[in-house]
Amino acid sequence: MSEVNKTAQAKVDTRKTEINKGIIIFNKMGIWVIVIGLLVLGTIIAAAGGGNFFQASNIQSILEAVALQGMVCAGLFYIVYAGNMNDMSIPLTMALAGMLTVQSINLGFPVALMIGIASGVGVGLVNGFMIGKLKANPIIWTWGFNLLISGIVRVVWQGRQLYADSVAADTEYAQNAANAFYSISRTYLTGVFSLMALVMIIMFVISWFIHAKTSFGQKLKMVGTNYEAAKLSGINCSRVITLSYVICSTCSAIAGIFYAAFRQVASYENGTGYDFSCLTCVLLGGTLLGGGKGSVIRTFGGVLAYGILNNILSWTGLGTYEKYTVQGIVFLIIVWINTYSERKLGRG
Amino acid sequence: MNTKKIKINGSFLNSNRALLFLIVVLIAGIFQNNFYTAFNINAVTGNGSLFIWLGLGFTICLIAGHMDLTVQYVSTLAALMCLGLHADQKIPWVLAIIIATLVGALVGLINGILVAKLKIHSFIATLGMQFVLRGVMYFYSGGAEMSIGSDYSANEVLTGQLIPVLPFSTYFLITTLVIILVMVFMRNTRTGRNIYLVGGNLETAWLAGVKSDKVTIAVFMLSSTCCALGGALNGIYSGAANVTMGEKGIAPLMIALTATIIGGTAISGGAGSVVNTYITLVAVAFLKAIFVKTEEQVLVLALILIACIAYETIAQYRKDKVLGTRPNLHLEYLKEKGKI
Repeated sequence: MSEVNKTAQAKVDTRKTEINKGIIIFNKMGIWVIVIGLLVLGTIIAAAGGGNFFQASNIQSILEAVALQGMVCAGLFYIVYAGNMNDMSIPLTMALAGMLTVQSINLGFPVALMIGIASGVGVGLVNGFMIGKLKANPIIWTWGFNLLISGIVRVVWQGRQLYADSVAADTEYAQNAANAFYSISRTYLTGVFSLMALVMIIMFVISWFIHAKTSFGQKLKMVGTNYEAAKLSGINCSRVITLSYVICSTCSAIAGIFYAAFRQVASYENGTGYDFSCLTCVLLGGTLLGGGKGSVIRTFGGVLAYGILNNILSWTGLGTYEKYTVQGIVFLIIVWINTYSERKLGRG
Repeated sequence: MNTKKIKINGSFLNSNRALLFLIVVLIAGIFQNNFYTAFNINAVTGNGSLFIWLGLGFTICLIAGHMDLTVQYVSTLAALMCLGLHADQKIPWVLAIIIATLVGALVGLINGILVAKLKIHSFIATLGMQFVLRGVMYFYSGGAEMSIGSDYSANEVLTGQLIPVLPFSTYFLITTLVIILVMVFMRNTRTGRNIYLVGGNLETAWLAGVKSDKVTIAVFMLSSTCCALGGALNGIYSGAANVTMGEKGIAPLMIALTATIIGGTAISGGAGSVVNTYITLVAVAFLKAIFVKTEEQVLVLALILIACIAYETIAQYRKDKVLGTRPNLHLEYLKEKGKI
């Protein structure tokens, strides 16, 4: 008997099973710890420079800077969440929406807006069909499709830039539409709060609702966690993924329209770099790259953290390009902490 | 001797699409003025060489199942460093090239450690490194253009024709030589074949006794070293380097990706050849001479790329559809198509 007991004791799993408390706390609090830390850091740095970090104009500039990225992130979240890594066609979706809106400004502002958003839906449908239905590689396909839209936009408009007031016909109606188009990025509601920031927050609320309160959100979680299991349990995976791409591209199109209005010019270069910077925000928010974990609210936190970090770097007086190094290192460290804590919790 | 009869059908054309692309472009060149002059060929291949180096790096990484988004920035950093070291520190050309290449290898080492040891997905790790490198480039150069100065000795070597009969610059010949060396390395050495194994199935490779972490790090180092060497040579060849080197029209990273895919490297890794990428990039270089407008270049390249991706995707989709439904149906399907 005793020998049997000994062998049984020897077979007891002696692997380390307790999990570091710090990792659990970090995993739960995640991005908000970083946001608060950055706010404290910003206050110190601003005070050292003789300024006030929380003055109205600074808050306004942070919100304005992140508004466009936030709009894209509200949609891009779904792509990452479904396990498709990134939508590389965001830049040209934004550019195309801006171009089409400006080009059709003569039809009146609401119609032009609709056409711009519809272009985003179209791009999303094509992406969704290829990736959801035919299972193309998400990154390679969206990257190639980005190049294709770029080629089409460049050939159709001959590489020109479009200005709403010069495209608009010489009628009062068209000129009013052009002015309305320009004004959407320059409207301030209470002095501090711009319309862009409000739209961003509304989009995040809608995005949160879709993710947390609808069956689509639940299905997406299953698809992101385990594609095969979701398929076997009767979920129409292709439709879910197609829908996620449609949401992402629609959000990008709305952001593209605001971008064109903000820059007062629509060109094929609009939105360059948004694919990577928005992915940074989404990953900062703790969304797992493999899919199936993350939340819209924390993505919003990621967007805020990115904006505040940029703002702090401006306070320190670094140039645009020197900021890149700091951004890159911060990005790598945070992604590493994310991956590491997930692996230690056995979820990675 | 391999006496397999070659059948010209869809799959044959698809597996040789890089060569087909080059042939079509060269035939189209007949209708252009001054296309087949020695000067044009020399200039076109010389200017396209930078992209060949980038495509080489990208292909090696994709074969191992990873993406290296830093290729473009590594080459630009190396070019800036090479010219800067020679101009400011008066270091001889050969040493400057070696130092720049070593810096590239260091970046590759960091990439490899991030991917293999810290288990960050290669797409994300190299994306972060891309930002870091962009910043480092500006720290080093201050955004200004680095010039070759008044010392044209190395430039003359690279732009001159090594073999008088062939209308190719020495730079292009070095590029070709390196491509052949890398091809031999990947086909005939143990490490090279391990790269294919790791790309095909990481788990199986590890179980078969391949040190997959070491292979991954080696892949990233090889890729970055190639890009850095190419960038340094390109800086000397073109006589100047700035932070947006090669970025006229399409981003160089995009061209590297396009050529890798058109060249037939498997998107999921484990299959492909650097020679096919090389052939595609030569074709792309000539394509740029045929379509002068950037807009048309972008559209034509994008159409070919999209066609290749769509073809592969649909073929895979149809294969998956019949796979597993009836035991022999897949074989029947392949027999019917004449693939077996």
